[in-house]
Amino acid sequence: MLEVRNGGFETTVQDYPGRIGMLSLGFAPAGPIDDYAFRFANVLVGNPPGAAGLEITAGGLVVAFHDERAFAVCGADMDARLNGQRIELWRSYRARPGDLLEFDYLQGSGFRTYLAVSGGIEVPPVLGSRATYLPGSVGGLEGRKLQAGDRLPLGEPSIDLGRVIDRRVQAHLVPGYPGYNEVWEVEATRGPQADPDYMTREDMDAFFSHHWKLDAASNRTGYRLDIYNWQWARTSGGAGGGHPSNIIDNGYPVGAVNVCGDQPIILCVDGPTLGGFICNAVVAKAAMWKLGQMVPGWSYIHFKEVSLEEAIDLLARQDATISEENLERS
Amino acid sequence: MAERTIRSPLPGIFYRRPSPDAEPFVKEGDVIQPGAVIGLVGVMKTFHEITADSGGRVVRFLVENEEPIRPGQEIVVLTDAGTE
Repeated sequence: MLEVRNGGFETTVQDYPGRIGMLSLGFAPAGPIDDYAFRFANVLVGNPPGAAGLEITAGGLVVAFHDERAFAVCGADMDARLNGQRIELWRSYRARPGDLLEFDYLQGSGFRTYLAVSGGIEVPPVLGSRATYLPGSVGGLEGRKLQAGDRLPLGEPSIDLGRVIDRRVQAHLVPGYPGYNEVWEVEATRGPQADPDYMTREDMDAFFSHHWKLDAASNRTGYRLDIYNWQWARTSGGAGGGHPSNIIDNGYPVGAVNVCGDQPIILCVDGPTLGGFICNAVVAKAAMWKLGQMVPGWSYIHFKEVSLEEAIDLLARQDATISEENLERS
Repeated sequence: MAERTIRSPLPGIFYRRPSPDAEPFVKEGDVIQPGAVIGLVGVMKTFHEITADSGGRVVRFLVENEEPIRPGQEIVVLTDAGTE
């Protein structure tokens, strides 16, 4: 059992890949936004990469261990301390009963960090997943973010603790995060509703060259970018509506860049599953983790166009990277 | 005189008022109690209160209303109440 002493700003139970296969029923997958850090944290403690762990947004979480466990923290630096001693990120440690793990506020770039505990968090799965879907109050612990007094059940570790502590992710695989006011390069595919039918070639050239400012209101539902004065290839949305960004309602992919009027919004892991605005690009699945570490109100995005084949290849390489073979003894 | 600052634990947009038409939470010269709300940080479509961890007199704000702030940024300077 893991006891929550302070839930922090927004800490949720997540698993990977979340509640997939249910977009047609109106369920977003949820799950960690930065699934790269999340999965590596699990691998470090000997869990399956998708086992349920915690997504800690902007800091403030305090938890007490009641069992001897391996744990690892991967992602943004929140000055995590075990019994007051600073711990390293991207490394596994041993926790003993009574140990206190505390996260302060963000210390530099990045926005979320992930805590994996050996055995995983064993809240009851809902519709096949333990991921918390906040807008629908589904999954995780009672469908909500954590708060003081919560007690999180843990599963049985499958590997002996001594074999999984004091390991770290190889240094060249630990991502460096762009700082405040700096630009993230995010791989994205063109379409499904781009040029020449919906936007002009010039619109799409601008889309793939502009440095888009991330709005402070961005969250797990949507990442809002700056308003842009598009040319548009049409004068209206026809049967879909009066504005050229309107189309007849259709399904939205996770990671779609949804252009609502003149504002592009990246639909994130808790995003809407359908609607009547065009999507002029889709963030490559292997690049979605970057959204999790951008700082709302401060980060910029440069979309780098990739083909569907390149996006698939990026994902295959990412999946292969997140493996025991890329850990070393510390 | 013992000046100290209150920092924001969060990045986001800083607001000195609970709503656009309301009076500021606190003004320069006000004497505030520990726990008093001195402003809000808006991020991820939610608003988090910034509170004073100790009481005192508000000397000056270091951040404008609706200015973007970083985690750890100093927001307001306090001094012991009764001193000028």
